Order: sequence, then structure tokens, then C-alpha cells
Amino acid sequence: MLYLIRKMRSQLNSWALLSVIFSTLILLPALLIMIQLFAESNENWEHIKEYMLKNYIVNSVTLVSFTGFFTVLIGVSTAWLVSAYKVPMHRFFKWGLILPLAIPPYIGAYTYHGILNYTGVIQTTLRNQFGIKVDQKYFDIMNIPGAVFIFTMFLYPYVYIITRSFLENQSSSLIENARLLGKGSFMTFIQVVLPVSRAAIVGGVSLVILEVFNDYGVVKYFGIQTFSTAIFQAWFGMGDIYSAIKLAGTLMFIVVLILILEKVIRGRKQYSYSTSKVRPLQPKELKGLKKVAVLSFFISLFALAFAIPFIQLLQWVYMTYDVILSAAFADLIWNSVFVAAIGSVFIIIVALIIANFSRLSKGWIGKLFSKITVLGYSIPGAVIAIGVLTLFLALDEKVITLYEWFGLEPTLVLSLSISMLIFAYVVRFLAVGFNSIESGFDKVGTVFTEASRTLGMSVTKTFFKVDIKMIKGAIAGGFILVFVDILKELPLTLILQPFNFYTLATKTFQYASDERIHEAAVSSMVIICISALSIFFLHRVLEKEPK
Amino acid sequence: MFKKNIFTAVVMVLLAALVLAGCGKSNEGASSSNTDAKKEEKKSGEVNLYTSRHYDVDDKIFADFTKETGIKVNLIKGEDDELIERLSREGKATKGDLFFTSDAGRLHWAKDKDLLQSVESDTLNKNIPENLRDKDNQWFGLTKRARVIVYDKKKVDQSELSTYEALTEDKWKGKVLIRSSENIYNQSLVSSFISLNGKDEAKKWAEGIVNNMARDPQGGDRDQAKGIVAGEGDVAIMNSYYFGQMLNSEDPEEVKVAKQLSVFFPNQETTGTHINISGIGVTKHAKNKENAIELMEYLSSPKVQEVFAEANYEYPVNKDVEPSELLKSWGNFKEQDLNLSELGENNADAVKIMNEVSWK
Repeated sequence: MLYLIRKMRSQLNSWALLSVIFSTLILLPALLIMIQLFAESNENWEHIKEYMLKNYIVNSVTLVSFTGFFTVLIGVSTAWLVSAYKVPMHRFFKWGLILPLAIPPYIGAYTYHGILNYTGVIQTTLRNQFGIKVDQKYFDIMNIPGAVFIFTMFLYPYVYIITRSFLENQSSSLIENARLLGKGSFMTFIQVVLPVSRAAIVGGVSLVILEVFNDYGVVKYFGIQTFSTAIFQAWFGMGDIYSAIKLAGTLMFIVVLILILEKVIRGRKQYSYSTSKVRPLQPKELKGLKKVAVLSFFISLFALAFAIPFIQLLQWVYMTYDVILSAAFADLIWNSVFVAAIGSVFIIIVALIIANFSRLSKGWIGKLFSKITVLGYSIPGAVIAIGVLTLFLALDEKVITLYEWFGLEPTLVLSLSISMLIFAYVVRFLAVGFNSIESGFDKVGTVFTEASRTLGMSVTKTFFKVDIKMIKGAIAGGFILVFVDILKELPLTLILQPFNFYTLATKTFQYASDERIHEAAVSSMVIICISALSIFFLHRVLEKEPK
Repeated sequence: MFKKNIFTAVVMVLLAALVLAGCGKSNEGASSSNTDAKKEEKKSGEVNLYTSRHYDVDDKIFADFTKETGIKVNLIKGEDDELIERLSREGKATKGDLFFTSDAGRLHWAKDKDLLQSVESDTLNKNIPENLRDKDNQWFGLTKRARVIVYDKKKVDQSELSTYEALTEDKWKGKVLIRSSENIYNQSLVSSFISLNGKDEAKKWAEGIVNNMARDPQGGDRDQAKGIVAGEGDVAIMNSYYFGQMLNSEDPEEVKVAKQLSVFFPNQETTGTHINISGIGVTKHAKNKENAIELMEYLSSPKVQEVFAEANYEYPVNKDVEPSELLKSWGNFKEQDLNLSELGENNADAVKIMNEVSWK
């Protein structure tokens, strides 16, 4: 007996040890940067405070609150309509409404600008076919409302996916009771659906908020000054790392505040269920005017958030593919898919280890580790990039000493290898994979693990023979989400790329930053297609999940 | 036992990866340092370039260079500021031999951070005019672009235009289009005014431009030109090569826009039109210095200068090479008489001035 306890403890310890190692590795880059948070302020900081800070805060907060509001509005209403009602093409819309996630907001931004501007297809048609010249005011998208539109269109699926899967799987009895009691659909929505799915909605919208806070591509292209552009400008433009860190610190503070707020709003109530009683919500057939209304809502949303930009890009691809496509282009695709796949595998492994440790150890330490994983998601990509670079250069210094010891020429090893980039991806996107796996673990609970342990299997054996098999769906889902995220990622890849290493995203950026939007279309299109395919698989995985 | 195995396995894999990476690289390093004989080095040599120029023509030129010399060109393509940050963090261990970017201010900044080294080359000194080179020969201009005024031929008569300064007069209220102050070309423009006219005058100019803006700055240089044709303003300040690209765009609508507009070189009677360069410098800790200089000389040679000029509508720096037909049709112009290092020296002041006058 005593032997058994000792054995158990030692096993937990090796999981703990691995968790500690990985968490420390993830913390290090952030720490290397944050150490400088307490440095004395200098004249640049005074200048930033006097002339710019207010603007940054106002712009960032405006963007975040409006985007948050609209993504909830659209995400929750579509989630409710899809899970409670049946309209024609129901099966298509179910996953078609996730598709906008395949379009990175920065590509969405320049595509929409391309459609709407003076030489864009709308104005040209009006001018050339109908002789109508319009006031530019109504076609201007490069401003804050425009950015809110872009973010809402391409980020609402976060709210949609999470809320929908909650509604479908966990709320049927409540909703059916409300229906039996004679509530109309609108009242059911307001009085039942909204309150019970609060946690899911908050979970989705906090992802949206983090994305908006950290976005660099859209706001830079539209010329809107926000926190993330300010960090770049202070750091790189003024060469003032201290002011940049202060801004990044302020941003992190806000983000942490939001995360705490999320926990408070979610409350203590956990909506987990005892497996036998849950059955999926049965959608009702819609008729008449209602059917037309819902259908046209779905169609216009799908058109705005996916079909229209997709078709526009297709036209540009047709315009430029003969110049852009070459044998080298295949390399781009291979590089992108390769780093995304490797990065996702690493993230899933690390997430599994930390999540398993954190759920089996009841104390606060386990919980702490699960919080650390979120850190990377709350720091702007460029700040992570420099932190990771600093860390790898420090490691390289050790390697160089070793080299000199052997009389070899000193050279950079780690910081010019692809491992640095992949490490940075792990830091940045661990939260995405971790959340998926954690929710998978939450669903199955620890009953089966405990049963297996009682039957004499070790923690590790149980993990491979029982746990992993029960959360296969969550693992696949997490993998795909991370894969798509890395495929679209820009600032990290741009700063940390090794020699002669280009990806679809960096190629897109190179053309777009040189104002050659048409040429950027081919690589954008490939990103979107690969992401869309992955999202389709994700949908299949979610469908197969045991209800 | 099993769990221990995993742990050891993970550690082993990590170690193995480290060692493997080390071996691979060390062999490479050894081979390039041991080949003392020049001829051999040409066969197996390489040169590593950090570049923020994203033009396809550059790739073609580098490929030609490799074909002719056998020296392989390795690239990291990023944004200028981030590449500078990376170079400076890599310090003496860096593998980057050359830094190539499209703004004199940024080149100066790299020099200021002690990231570049002086190069003595008669070829470079002969091919590149003195004012387009660093005072200490730490960087060299390779292509040139002018920041010009573009106007609607129907709405504005050429005689109404004279100088950058004139655009701040009341006559142009609500009619000037220019992009945001975050743009490096605008920062360098203001820097040049600080050099030529002093800080106060430069600030007055920036203030005047903000007062006369047709709209809040938005979009890139091409969007300013489109803004004129769309009727939002009458004149725009933009880079010459963007205008050339629009005239030759694959999109017929862009060509149509550009054809309604004309180029004007301001300040011909006074200080001259603002120019900027794409330039290159050898990094302080370059490991392949000879190859790096060879590449720089190649890029300044008449043959390559012609390719630059034709493909991208930039002005060649080499006096023996003529600009493209299109640029010639715009005529010759007087340039600002300024050593371009000063654009970098004044950059921080320029950014502050633009913030102070609320140039978005």
C-alpha cells in the first residue's frame, strides 16, 4: 500500500517535472522582456504620454468594444438559429458559417479595400456602366467603423462555434421546457438561451477580444493607431525599447483584467453534465416569412464574410497567376504546411502534458500552470518574437563557447534554425490547443481515469490507454485550430524566419506591403483554401463527437 | 518504468536535435573558412543578405549574380526596423553580411547602432555619386526615387504648382492628399526639411499640410492618386515609382486613373525635389565580406542598374545608365542638395514634429 502511494507520487512528479520545464520555457521569453518594465522612463515616454497615449487607448477600446458587441450579436444569433431551426441548406450553413475563419483579417481588409475603392469593382461598374460617380465618403472602409466591420466578419465564428456546440449539446431540456410552457422563440432566446449560454459566449468573445488587441495587419493597413502599432512605433521607429515595453505591459495588464472579468462573469457555475441525460437539441422546421428571413440572413452573412472576398480574390488570381506561379511557389506551400504541422504537433504534446497534470493535481499549482499557457496569447506577436530571439541568442552564446572550445569558428546555430520559429509558435498558440484539450478533459471527467487507476494501471499507462482515447475528438479539434492559426500567422514568422525561408503568409505580406494587392491574391487564396479544408475537417470531427 | 522512459525519451530527442543542428552547421562553417584559395571560394561561397525590399526583380538579379560568380545569395526578407533589431541582437555572432533597405534614414540608423562597417571600393565610389553614399562609406545608394507632387491635369494648371511649401497656403485648403505619418517616406521628407530649413520651418510646414489635408491620411501612395481622380482632393504627394507602377498596372482601371494625372517636380527654383534611395551596407561582423563587396559592386554596375530602372521605375544611381523611357518623359529635375545621412539623423525629430501637429 505504502509502496503504491509512493509510486503514484513519483509518477505524478514526472508529469509535474515536464509541466514545470515546459511552463518555464514558455515563461522565459516573456520574462526577458518584462524585466525591463521597471526601467526609468525617458523623454520618448513623456512624448508618447503627452501626444499619443490617449489616442491609442481610445482607438483600441473603441475597436474592441464594438467588435465584441457585434461578434456576440452575430455569433450568438446564428448559433441559436442554426441549432434550433431548420432552413433549406441547413447542413451547409452549419459549417459554412465557420468558413470566414479561413480568411485572415488582414487579407479580408485589403480585399475589401480593393473592392470598395475608386478603381474597385463596385465603383468602376457604377461609373462605366451607369455613369454614376459616388461620394467617396460612402465607400471608405479605412477607418475605425471599417475595421470593426472587418474584425466582426472574420472573427464572429469564434463566438458561433463555441456557442453552437454548447446549445446543441447541453441546453435541449431547458429550451424544450420553455417551448412547452408556451414561450415564443424570441422570448426563449432572451430569457433562456442567453443566460444559460453566458459562459460559452464569454469564452468565444474573449478570444475575439484578444485577437483584436493583438492585431497588427488590419490596423496598420488602415492607418489606425492602436496599442500594437504603438508598440512597434516606439520600439522600432523610435528605437526605444523601454517605452515599447511600457506599452506592452499596459496592454498585458488590460488583457489580464479581461481574463479575470471573464472568470467573474462566468461565475462559479460549471455547466458540466452527467453523461446519460444529455441529448442533442432537435431543430424545428421553419415556415413562411420566418423561413425567408432566416435564410436571407444566413445568405447575406455568408456572402459578406466569405463568398464576396473569395470571388474578388479569385478574379485577382486570374489576373496575376501567370506571373506569380512558379516552381518556387510549391516551396512556399510546403514550408507553410510543414511549420504549421510541426508546430501543431508540439503544441498538442505540451498541452496534453500540462492539461493532464493540471487536472490530476488538485492543488493551486496545477491551476497556475494552466494559466501560464494563456500568457503567449495575450502578448503581441512582435514582443514574443523579440523575447524568443533574445532567449535563443543567449543559448547560442553557450553553444558558441563550446565551439570555440573545440577551435571552431563561432556561428549562430539555434537562432538561425527553424526550431526558433517553431518554439515561438508554441509560446504564442499553446492557449488555443490547451483550451481545446482542457475542455475535452472536462467533458470526460476523472471517473474513468480513477477506475483505471483502481484497476492497477499507472498514471502514464492510464493516460495512453484510457484518457487519450476518450478525448481523441478534442485533440483533433485542437490540432486543426492551431494548424490554421499558424498558417495565418504573420509577425512572428516575419521576424524569426531563417535564411531563404518564405511562407504563404510572408509572401502575401511582401506584396501587400508594396501596395501590390493583386499579386498578393495567389498566396492569399492558397492560405484560405488550406484553412477552409482544415475547417471542414474540424466540422467533421465535431459532428462525430459523441453527443 | 514507462513514465521514466518517456521523460528520458523527450530529453534525448531534445539533446539529439541540438547536437545534430550543431554538427550540420559546424561543417558548413568549417568548409567556408578553410577554403582560402579564392577560386575555390567562388565555387562554394555564399553571401547572406538581410533585405526589406520585396521586389521580384531583386530575386532575379541575385539569381543572375549566382550564375555569374558561383556565389550563393541567401536571404532573410523582413521589415527594415525588425531586421535592424535582429542584427543588433545577434551582435558579433551574426551571419548576415549585408543589410539592404529602401530608405536612407534606416541605413543611417543601422550605422548609428554600429551595425555596419566602412568599405573601400573604387568601383562603388566611381559608380555611385557622393551624396548618395554614406560619409564613411558604410552604406551605398543603389536606386533612387523622388517624392513628387501629382495633380489632376483638368483641375490644376501646372503654373499653380511651385514648391512643397506652397501647398501649405490657404489656396490648397482641403485639397492636399498625403498618407500617414507612420510612413517612412513622409518621415524622411520632413527630415529633409529640418536639414534644409531648420526645425521651426519644418514644423510650420507639417502644421500647414495638416491644415490643408483633404481627408484624414489613409491608405498607401497609390490611394492618394486615386483620391484625386475620385474628387477628394486636387494634389497628392507620392513616390515617383508608385506612379510608374500605376501607369503600367495589370488593372486597366488603375491605368485609367494614372493617365488623368501628371507628375510635378517641386522646388525646382529653390531647394530641389526630395529624393530617397534604396541602399546597402556591409554588416560590422560580416563573415563573407569579400563576397558581400562583390555583390554590392555587381548591383551598382551599369548592367544591373538598367534592370533596376526598367523593372521598378526607379532612377538608377549610376550616372552612365539612363532611366527608363517613362521616367525620361517626365524630364530632368533638380534634386535636394543633401547628404542623405541627414535623413536618418533627423528622423526622431521628424516623428516628434508630426505627432505634435497631430499628423495621423
